Amino acid sequence: MTESTTPAAPALEARDVRVEIGDKTILHAADLTLEAGRLVAVVGPNGAGKSTLARAVAGMQKTAAGAIHWMGDDLGGLRGRKLALRRAFVPQRARVPDGLTVTEAVRIGRSPHLKPLQRPTRRDNEVVAAAMERTGVTQFAERKLTTLSGGELQRVQIAVALAQDAPVLMADEPTSHLDLGATVAVAKLLRGLADEGLAVMLVAHDLSLAAAVADTVVVMSAGRTVAAGPPLDTLTHERLEQVWGVDASVKAAGHHTALHVAWLGGAADHGDAS
Amino acid sequence: MRPAKLLFLALVLALLAGVPAAQAAAPKRIVALTPFSANTLAGLGVKPVGIGETPGDNERRASNLKGVKKLTLSHPNGPNMEELALLNPQLAFSSPTWAKGAKTMRDLGIKVVNADPVDVAGTVTQTTMIGKVVERESSAQQLAQRLKDQIAAARKSIRKHPRTLVVLGVGRTPFVLLPNSWGGDVVRKAGARLITAGVTSSSGFARISDETILKANPDVIIAIPHANSDDIPEVTKYLRNNPAWEDSRAVRNDKLFVSTDNSLLQANTNVADVIRKVRRVYLKN
Amino acid sequence: MRRTAVVVVLVVAVVAGLTASLALGAVDIPLQTVIDALTGNADPGPLRKIVLDLRLPRTVEAVAVGAALGVAGALLQGALANPLASPDVIGVTGGAGFGAVLILIVFPGSIALLPVGALFFGLLAAGIVFAIAWAGPNAGGPGRLILAGIAIAALFGAGMTSILVAYPDRVQSALFFIAGGLTSDGWSDLKVVWPYFAVGFAIAIALARPLDRLALGDDVAASLGARPRMIRLLSGVGAALLAAAAASLAGLLGFLGLVVPHAVRLASGTSSHTYVLPVSALGGSALLLAGDTLARTVRAPIEMPVGPFMVVIGVPLFLFLLRRAV
Repeated sequence: MTESTTPAAPALEARDVRVEIGDKTILHAADLTLEAGRLVAVVGPNGAGKSTLARAVAGMQKTAAGAIHWMGDDLGGLRGRKLALRRAFVPQRARVPDGLTVTEAVRIGRSPHLKPLQRPTRRDNEVVAAAMERTGVTQFAERKLTTLSGGELQRVQIAVALAQDAPVLMADEPTSHLDLGATVAVAKLLRGLADEGLAVMLVAHDLSLAAAVADTVVVMSAGRTVAAGPPLDTLTHERLEQVWGVDASVKAAGHHTALHVAWLGGAADHGDAS
Repeated sequence: MRPAKLLFLALVLALLAGVPAAQAAAPKRIVALTPFSANTLAGLGVKPVGIGETPGDNERRASNLKGVKKLTLSHPNGPNMEELALLNPQLAFSSPTWAKGAKTMRDLGIKVVNADPVDVAGTVTQTTMIGKVVERESSAQQLAQRLKDQIAAARKSIRKHPRTLVVLGVGRTPFVLLPNSWGGDVVRKAGARLITAGVTSSSGFARISDETILKANPDVIIAIPHANSDDIPEVTKYLRNNPAWEDSRAVRNDKLFVSTDNSLLQANTNVADVIRKVRRVYLKN
Repeated sequence: MRRTAVVVVLVVAVVAGLTASLALGAVDIPLQTVIDALTGNADPGPLRKIVLDLRLPRTVEAVAVGAALGVAGALLQGALANPLASPDVIGVTGGAGFGAVLILIVFPGSIALLPVGALFFGLLAAGIVFAIAWAGPNAGGPGRLILAGIAIAALFGAGMTSILVAYPDRVQSALFFIAGGLTSDGWSDLKVVWPYFAVGFAIAIALARPLDRLALGDDVAASLGARPRMIRLLSGVGAALLAAAAASLAGLLGFLGLVVPHAVRLASGTSSHTYVLPVSALGGSALLLAGDTLARTVRAPIEMPVGPFMVVIGVPLFLFLLRRAV
């Protein structure tokens, strides 16, 4: 690796983000860095502030403090279309309207690129087709959204985000409500997108999934980022005990990643001498 | 010099005679939307090109108005504007009830004058007014005087002044006719003392509570329901059983009367006859 | 394509409606005379006057009001993501009814101010609804807007009923307005309200694409750089202008704003606003032209309120579309 070139500014650099909603402080101090070609998974217990952090850095949630820079530009100066060209956000559960086909939905993703009364160009249609191809939903092109399964819908949502053609893709718990097969499909998709050069951020519940797909895992607890690093180094037994309060560990072997959990309590609870 | 002077005089006279002719001629095509204006015009020898008629109308109309085009009147505009426009009138005698239509009529270039009296004295003054508008002033003077005399005759020798309640039945809620309504004024001119319990209303109608009626205890009740003449017995029976009225002097003395024609609701030129009927049938004075 | 077919059918319906509206009425006027009057070739006289001063402005009003209500309904259904949304929901109809009845019954001498009264109170009611909906927690959310709209509509509705009860002998004059219908009033009312139609339609055109961005939810819209709350507010403003102007001309016409956008979506199979907004305008105009022509001719010379006729035409059509969709 040549060190002569200075590294490009990271896609997203967020430091000491603080978010207050009403008189409650949801995020005290959270940090996050996203770089092209790398997948970052943000994990933590419920209420830790994972979604809030994702929305805050995406410019969808007001912050009380913190330095957030997208490709070197301060978030405060980026609005609307300009921000939409830098990042695409896939919410946890999007609305599924009646009467909209998959193609029409994915086309909506092109809107930051369209001037007010301009018709979609050939390039726009090509991007839409490519996004649908990449997410494997081309076969559903003319189907109404309301006829799709959960997994198919999630892939369409990702296609919408891909049509936005931004260098950063952020997904808020995209697999929380999906079955195993659909989860695997989405996992492969996201990892593949990162390998192709996108900066991908994933808020996840599922620790084994996070460990399997992520280059970096960021652990959050009570509104703070408490750890960040490679999955296996970060999701240690001690950390899992400390943050989640459970006796568990993440193990990787070959292509498989697993979360081993003492579901019915640890050695201490059973009075076994370890 | 004399022929020249005569000529000069003749010229001046001719000019003077021509001047009024040069001014705006009396309106030729007139529409009379109210029964009062229609009958007054007939009395002045002026034939309108159209007269107004409300559905279910049983208004008395002068015989020389037969054959005149009837325009059906309905809320909110009054006559159908297309039918009215087809008659191409220059003037319409209307009523404040059709105020919305008056605006459209004016936009169509028709002059609109209200001719719908709300009291007995108004029949005389509006006769004169109509005469002025259609330039039959001397005929109108005579007509107005005749009307005045008829009314005075109808009001002669009033012996009694019974306390009277005049009620308009609108659905199940009755409205009292106040002195500033047509019917209220007619009944008063016929000698009655109108019961109003001190209520006033610019429209001439007011809802007063049944308790007030009970307390007031009228000698005569005249009820004007929305009904046909064949329904009078049924309606009378129903009204007689109204708890607010059944113990009143009027009901006990069989002085509850039902009127189904428009004579107490709508001004017309036969006002003297109406006063006479009220005296003879209802007030018995 | 279904979408093209629907547009073609509606255009034909509008043209037929225009013809019928100009050619039919209480007075029989031969078609040639009507054409002559419109092209400036007719002799001056009552027939020409009827066509140009009574039927033509009324036809224009029917087109404008029908289009306005259709578009207002489509704007609100898209912005609030609620199929039950209609101009009544944002309080405009209630306010307009109150304003009109106030003039008609309490100040009948100022009858010329009727459209102004309806417009003013219609916009006032909508303004109050927006102020409530945009304050406090969850500001600008559809639920808040709908609840505020229902409350304010009820308030003004009660005001209207109170006036009617206080002056029951004058109720007749207000009845026509409440039932909803056009009257042959010439051009004077249109001259007062046309700017509100113009601004309302302009806002609708500008919002067609932004409303599509709301289709997948507020989060996706924000991701795309759109501002959901601003879009919702502007939709409300546009709908309020259109509905208030419509009410000042045609009274309290319900049904159209709610049903026409649905019918358009069911018939064409699409929810895209760039299609639904203009086609709802066509559908609304067609329906009102048909209804008004019937209302004027069925019991001529008496003019019936338009509402029942629109319902008689529209409901079977709507039920038919509904069955096919399900």
